[in-house]
Amino acid sequence: MRRFIHKAACAGALLATMGSLHAGEGTFGWLYTLDLQRKGTWEFEQRLQYNRGQAGGTYDFWQARTEVEYGVNENFQLAGYLNTSFTNAYRNYPATDEFPNGETGGWGVAYPGDGHYRKWRVEGVSLEGIYRLTNPVIDPVGVGLYGELTLGTVKDEFEARLLLQSNFLDDKLVLASNLVAAVEKVKFVNGETGPESMFDVLFGATYRFANNWTAGMEARYHNDYYGYRYQTHTQRAWFVGPNVHYAEKDWWVTAAWRYQPTGGKCWAPNDGECSGRRVWDSHTRNEFIVKFGMPF
Amino acid sequence: MQWKPAATLALIPVAAIIAPAIAHAKIYVSVEDTQKRLFPGEKLVQTPVALTEAQRERMRELSSVREPFRGERVWRTAKGDWFIVDEVVGKHEMVKYALAIHADGTIKGIEIMEYVESYGYEVGEASWRNQFVGKTGASTLKLNKDIQNISGATLSCKHLTDGVKRLMVMHDLVLKGLK
Repeated sequence: MRRFIHKAACAGALLATMGSLHAGEGTFGWLYTLDLQRKGTWEFEQRLQYNRGQAGGTYDFWQARTEVEYGVNENFQLAGYLNTSFTNAYRNYPATDEFPNGETGGWGVAYPGDGHYRKWRVEGVSLEGIYRLTNPVIDPVGVGLYGELTLGTVKDEFEARLLLQSNFLDDKLVLASNLVAAVEKVKFVNGETGPESMFDVLFGATYRFANNWTAGMEARYHNDYYGYRYQTHTQRAWFVGPNVHYAEKDWWVTAAWRYQPTGGKCWAPNDGECSGRRVWDSHTRNEFIVKFGMPF
Repeated sequence: MQWKPAATLALIPVAAIIAPAIAHAKIYVSVEDTQKRLFPGEKLVQTPVALTEAQRERMRELSSVREPFRGERVWRTAKGDWFIVDEVVGKHEMVKYALAIHADGTIKGIEIMEYVESYGYEVGEASWRNQFVGKTGASTLKLNKDIQNISGATLSCKHLTDGVKRLMVMHDLVLKGLK
């Protein structure tokens, strides 16, 4: 049971990490805005996220997502993507009775131990849809609904978001927030499954400080739960950091960094997932992301 | 640290080859060519205007455009018509356009001079630009009111419409009083 909860909490953390691709041109690292693909147009997007550093030792979690977006109509966009990852861990969790020199664990590590662990995997595929109810370019508040279904080797998941955005100063200043709710069925290596749920609030601002360039800040308030109906609160954490975005008519690129300050908390029995008032699992002290898009 | 690139990453160079080949071309028209389009055969004389802060504030208030207007981009014909070059915020870069105003204060035409974006090139088509013809400073000049939007080019349509409104406000405040 201890390991089950441990795994479930880990997967829940990943759920939160993964559900953060961007619609249309992504000026934020992790926040969605309401910039959707134009009707009948396509965009290729490649994302690479790097999570680095946990309680000690080594923990590197790379995640690549390859996406194609399509504008069904002016206010509805569909996207499909392939998710892959690479985990490199070594004694990244605090020492325990079982592993007095530190435990090798966290998301992506199939079995806890104290040796080196490296694995690349194809995690699965996702399909997402975004419907824009109001447009922030012409309405005071842009509102959109987002749904994402993921089927994979490590989990099946459904994620829903309420997307909010307001533009100011000739649309150069963008304030955005996402309310995120998700449920997932975690798939363990022994064939068992486990229920997880999540609630996040993402918010941030970007400003176009020169032609082609924007920069800003974004934050995430993250909560994981055991059970499909948010029965047991297992984890809470904050993340905050800057972003920068450059775009031309044929391509765009965004880079962002999020830092996990102290103030996080775990309620799961396995305390290895928390130390120093920070949350681990798939989370780290620092998260970096680079996204690259090409409309066509 | 070790990264084993996913096979899907190989799609990046493929997209890099394909996308530029199918991307839209730029619009770029010089001031001289735009003047010839809007005022064929006529001589225009540059007529710079110096706006007071109160006038700028009024233009901002009525149009919502905050980008500064450059007063040297104003020309006049012998008949008293006006030719004004302005810029508004586009998706990635500034959209440069020109507005022609008859001496009686009605819009003669609008031309897009520079447009370098992924989409929205329909703002350069006559069917959209002709909506402005005949409008005056008293016209609403508001997107989705008396100016129709182009789906997928909302930001450009909105900013160009607001930009034209600002120039018409400037015409009423400043230009029509000039002798």
